[in-house]
Amino acid sequence: MTFEPKIVGFLCNWCSYTGADLAGTSRIHYAPNVRIIRVMCSARIDPTFVLKALHDGADGVLICGCHPGDCHYSEGNYKMMRRYPMLKSLLADYGIEDERVRLEWVSASEGQRFADIVNDMTERVRALGPSPVKAALEADLAER
Amino acid sequence: MDDLKIGVFVCNCGTNIAKVIDCDAVIDSVERLPYVAVARTYKYMCSDPGQDMIQADIEEYGLDRVVVAACSPRMHEPTFRKALQKAGLNPYFLEMANIREQCSWVHDDPVAATEKAAALTAAAVMRVAHHEALERRSVDMCPNTLVIGGGIAGMSAALDLADAGNRVYLAERSDHLGGNVARADLTAPYLDSARDMLTERVTRVVEHPNIDVLLESQVRKVDGFVGNFKTTIRAKADDGAPVDSVYDVGSIIVCTGYKEFDASRITHYGYGKLPNVVTSFELEKMLRAGRVTTKEGKAPQYVAIIHCVGSRNLEFHAYCSRVCCMTALKYAHEVKSAVPGAYVSDIYIDMHAFGKGMEDFYRRSSEIKTLFLMYEKNDYPVIRKADATDDCDMLIEVNETLSGETIEMPADLVVLMVGMEAREDSEEVAHLVNISRDKDGWFIESHPKLDPVATTTDGVYIAGACQAPKDIPDSVAQARAAAARILARTALGKIDIDAVFAEVDEDKCSGCRMCNELCPYVAIEFDLEKRRSHVISALCKACGACVAACPSGAITARHFTDKQIFSEIEGVLA
Amino acid sequence: MAEDKLQIAIYWGAACGGCDVSILDTDAFILEIDKAADIRLWPIATDGKYKDIEALADGDLDVAIMSGAVRNSENERMAHLLRQKSKVFVAYGSCAYMGGIPSLANLVPREEIIKRAYLSNASLEPGNTTVPRPRTSLNGYDLELPEFYARVYKLDQVVDVDYYVPGCPPQPGQAQIAITALVQALTGQAEAPAKGSVVGAYERALCDDCKRTKAEEKKVKRFYRPWEIMQDPDVCLMEQGMLCAGSATRSGCGVRCPDSGIPCRGCYGPAPGVVDQGAKLLSAVASIIDSKDAEDIDEILLTLPDFTSFANRYSVAASPLQRSHRR
Repeated sequence: MTFEPKIVGFLCNWCSYTGADLAGTSRIHYAPNVRIIRVMCSARIDPTFVLKALHDGADGVLICGCHPGDCHYSEGNYKMMRRYPMLKSLLADYGIEDERVRLEWVSASEGQRFADIVNDMTERVRALGPSPVKAALEADLAER
Repeated sequence: MDDLKIGVFVCNCGTNIAKVIDCDAVIDSVERLPYVAVARTYKYMCSDPGQDMIQADIEEYGLDRVVVAACSPRMHEPTFRKALQKAGLNPYFLEMANIREQCSWVHDDPVAATEKAAALTAAAVMRVAHHEALERRSVDMCPNTLVIGGGIAGMSAALDLADAGNRVYLAERSDHLGGNVARADLTAPYLDSARDMLTERVTRVVEHPNIDVLLESQVRKVDGFVGNFKTTIRAKADDGAPVDSVYDVGSIIVCTGYKEFDASRITHYGYGKLPNVVTSFELEKMLRAGRVTTKEGKAPQYVAIIHCVGSRNLEFHAYCSRVCCMTALKYAHEVKSAVPGAYVSDIYIDMHAFGKGMEDFYRRSSEIKTLFLMYEKNDYPVIRKADATDDCDMLIEVNETLSGETIEMPADLVVLMVGMEAREDSEEVAHLVNISRDKDGWFIESHPKLDPVATTTDGVYIAGACQAPKDIPDSVAQARAAAARILARTALGKIDIDAVFAEVDEDKCSGCRMCNELCPYVAIEFDLEKRRSHVISALCKACGACVAACPSGAITARHFTDKQIFSEIEGVLA
Repeated sequence: MAEDKLQIAIYWGAACGGCDVSILDTDAFILEIDKAADIRLWPIATDGKYKDIEALADGDLDVAIMSGAVRNSENERMAHLLRQKSKVFVAYGSCAYMGGIPSLANLVPREEIIKRAYLSNASLEPGNTTVPRPRTSLNGYDLELPEFYARVYKLDQVVDVDYYVPGCPPQPGQAQIAITALVQALTGQAEAPAKGSVVGAYERALCDDCKRTKAEEKKVKRFYRPWEIMQDPDVCLMEQGMLCAGSATRSGCGVRCPDSGIPCRGCYGPAPGVVDQGAKLLSAVASIIDSKDAEDIDEILLTLPDFTSFANRYSVAASPLQRSHRR
């Protein structure tokens, strides 16, 4: 049985979520591995959400926002942009492989691009295998 | 929360969803979730019978929360919220799971799609359990408007607002109305008189009972928020002493226009050194006086017009100033008319004839035997004084692209099409009304495509060239659009504040002020006495930036709380 | 041993002893404790053996105060034992509350720790191959050492905790307040705090008590270590580019560090209700970076070495990921 990654996607309402909807209305098919959670703006995304998703068993986390300069709320995506490198460095120190967490800018008109991103990320995470987090934490407890 | 009863409704959407997703299997999987009192499917949930079914179940089962797994919430969230409301349930007790646009329409494997749909629906069930009742609120909307700038944009906006019966305060820095259009003679492409157009506007404005024209006035301070601004305007008293007055307005339109590029910054055009190199505005002055002459008083035999002075130039401004090409063609006509027999050469990079009637105007300009010379960006023409033996005052060397030759054009009068740039006081104005400027100093609109007259500060609008270089038709269109936006609000008398906004818990706020500068709507104020930050809910647009950034977790995003989102994360991964 | 005296035990897991010192630092208050209670176990200050505690009946101890984290099986055994024998179990200090400094070890695999401590460290005799083992036999005796766990745990991952007293260490003044509150609750003089509460600390972040001015404008183009600039003693440290965890840290310590010119390191843990202190610190830092260009932001972050150790300095065991998952 091939491993099917479970990827949590945080999409901003105005651009990326709408872009994902556009992929739907255009009937563009893509891998079923991303489960989308809607936020109003990528600025709402607390790094805790990403950590919690990984803790709860996500194999990957995809964050999408509007292209820089196009944020519906003016500069929300820049706030995400500033958090992201620190989040990546934190995740690296926690041994989470780089390709499990990804930030992409997707506009409301980029249905195809969203589909391509989902397909690409699904394959990359599939190659990495299941996220080590849940299993590792359980294994630690088993030895006690 | 122990008594919570959640109803789950999975839509088939005809075959749109049901063809790929096994809706009964989704029902089976969510039925086992805590608090689910009823779970059922239906052909078209958004239809009248579908909505009736939801309402009937709310009554019969005493439902507290409703989940609808169907199309995108961007499609039907308002529909189902109304359904809840009709059944006496707070509309925010609804959560939708997107199993159409983001599931059945994009996946071909029915097993995987059904599994995903079940996960998304479970996430919605877990999230909705944490939803709270939210109420929309209303604040008063003052029908008065402050228009900053008495040019063509400002006057056009003022007239529409005043004609609708609202009071307008039109503040103009200088001592006359008309702005930059007052400096023009005729307008492209139909060569109408600018003066006639302006006279009509100015007369109506000055005579309008609903417009207070405040000349030699400057806006000093703006306090308050949309619908409730207090603006302080400094004018000159009769003895010349400054006097401040406070005006209550509900909206502000910024129409401060532009200033022209200083041509002396481009040395190879010799402006300021060669006496017969003039700017477009200086030519307008001559045209209004009815005589086009050289500095020496002679009629020019050769007139050259150079485009893109200060525009489309990485050294000064990379942008195009939009109006200059057609204005240059206007000059070709006007010069030929004022000095019949003059040779007019038009030296340009590209001919931007984008608007209505403009391509025809371009054609007519070549029909009157204007000589068009094209140069490449960054390969600028060079002007030098001619020798005594030449029969002209200056020579312009142009590396002409279409012919591939270097041409030396004679010129007795050179007109530089100076570009538009942001006024020096634009920074001050921006701070005054809390809007932002882009890298070129132009005021930034709410959305470049969908919302060109509003700004991120609710209640403040921008119109005309202050937003970006534009011509008179577009300036007027924007101004009247801004007026229409305001009228739409004043017609209601009150402004509805969305129920979804952020709130600071003062018991948790430590006064660190990390959030203060984050808000693009300047909705966060700091109470210096209490040492606590506070969100002005009327201004908050619920983006959540401050919520995620607050290091104490003291700010909550209504309807997008941490708890709700955590539940959703747990749900999609269950 | 009077019947009406409270019976208490104070013990340490993976700890430095600082928490015990903080209780001793309550000065004369220690005599009050002695008047009100029998200390049945407190290695730093009194005599007492494991068997003394094992001999008690469940609930014989009114309060067990345990500092330190759970690094090995002895720490866990004692946590369980003290929990079993006590009415109220207090996790005392940052290690007990969040894992503390010892839990930074969770960012390194166990094998690497053993290797570094016993095999590859420069201060070892070259050629050493001896590493500790949990069990060994010698001269007919079976000897046991506590097992070194794969990761460090905070106490409530191992036992049911009633109260937390944060701090590295808790400030003596707060220790006194916390202990007094517990004693009063146990002797019926006052209502007990809600189970699971953090006691001996306040309900807001440090900034509330910090005397430095906080401006609306918070923009930094780079970060500085405390010795790199001459700081303004009256202005918020973050505004001056120094990484202060204060805005994401619960107050109660008296703001001693920022008052002394040193940025807060977050030892009192997150503000009430916050799930991960590190994530909130990350957000705070991101909020003040003055740039909108991805490359520029990376440049600015180069002045912030080892961000993870700053973000989760005391709280790795409390963070959602809890340890490095490097394979």
